[in-house]
Amino acid sequence: MHEYSLALSIFESLRARLRDSPITHHPSRITKVHLRQGELLVLSHEALQEAWRIITEGTELEGSELEIERVPVRVRCPGCGYEGDAKYLAEEGWHMRVPILSCPRCGARVEIVEGKDLAVVALTVEEEVGAS
Amino acid sequence: MAPLICGRGCVCWIRKNDDLHHPPPRVAGEEKGVYPHGEMHEIQIGFGDILKKQLELAGKNYELLSAHKVRAFNVMGAIGSGKTTLILRLAEALRHRGIRVGAVAGDVAGDDDFRRFREAGIPAVNVNTGDDCHLDAHRVHHALEDLPLEDIDVLFIENVGNLVCPADFPLGTETDIVVISVTEGEDMVRKHPKIFAQTDVVAINKVDLAEVVGVDPQHILADYRKLNPHGRAILTAAKSGHGIEELLSALGF
Repeated sequence: MHEYSLALSIFESLRARLRDSPITHHPSRITKVHLRQGELLVLSHEALQEAWRIITEGTELEGSELEIERVPVRVRCPGCGYEGDAKYLAEEGWHMRVPILSCPRCGARVEIVEGKDLAVVALTVEEEVGAS
Repeated sequence: MAPLICGRGCVCWIRKNDDLHHPPPRVAGEEKGVYPHGEMHEIQIGFGDILKKQLELAGKNYELLSAHKVRAFNVMGAIGSGKTTLILRLAEALRHRGIRVGAVAGDVAGDDDFRRFREAGIPAVNVNTGDDCHLDAHRVHHALEDLPLEDIDVLFIENVGNLVCPADFPLGTETDIVVISVTEGEDMVRKHPKIFAQTDVVAINKVDLAEVVGVDPQHILADYRKLNPHGRAILTAAKSGHGIEELLSALGF
């Protein structure tokens, strides 16, 4: 269960970012924090949301929700130069969709370009009505 | 929907409803305007990977290990899969070849594995993670500071017993090894496909017990081959030493 430490990392990076470059100079409230999660990253959304709720309590991010988008793996083949989507195990009976790290074009072992990361990509901000 | 430059200079996209998850990428020369106050809007702040710090620290570990010409292996696997016994066997076999082995014992609590390494004459550091379910690059870095790296050729880092989380935390090692045992059941690879898809060396341990527990190691092997056609899975029985030489060869010895 490393969701708590991940939530804390998101919180700390976001706060540092907001301190360095405030998003707006008038009263506003962050309602959503949009994340992108690589599909290979093992992450429980429920646990992350719960950790976020606890961590943000009493801060300017209190009440904000995490919105998590899963992004597919992208691979690069050192053999033939292919770069793009990974191949997936097509056979029945597997419990989840898992990318195979073989080149869809030539079959060599590929490198993961994207798909293991967790990034903050956007914020939804509600500006207080009447503020100027 | 047009990207707007708000009155205070930030780039944002008006967000009037909740079904918008994919704002367009920032495009130079797009229509500019001032967003109406009192609206929900989305701000693209895209800052890098939250796990980047882990990657950077892992990179530092790798450099430190390389500088001392230490080949390091991250040994992952479930609780009771036989990681410690397997490392002890590998260390013994390597010692016969004149290769000096060190170890990091990662556990949530206690020093049982650590003591086993020390009793076998292996320089070792104990790392207790407290509540964490995995080792991370930061903890390993401190462990490396406490090891006589100049007297070590090969370092086995035994991760916390867990088949889920350790896969997300690179430590800066050369190769990952996953140890599973037949006593965990025939479907371990299917239950934890993410870690097996990414791991190129797998030890299927305790094969001497396969018959007793009614598990066919060939099924585990077949699942793994489908998931990772480039990996090598070795059948081992650490207690008797079965498969140790083959595993060493898979690790490039």
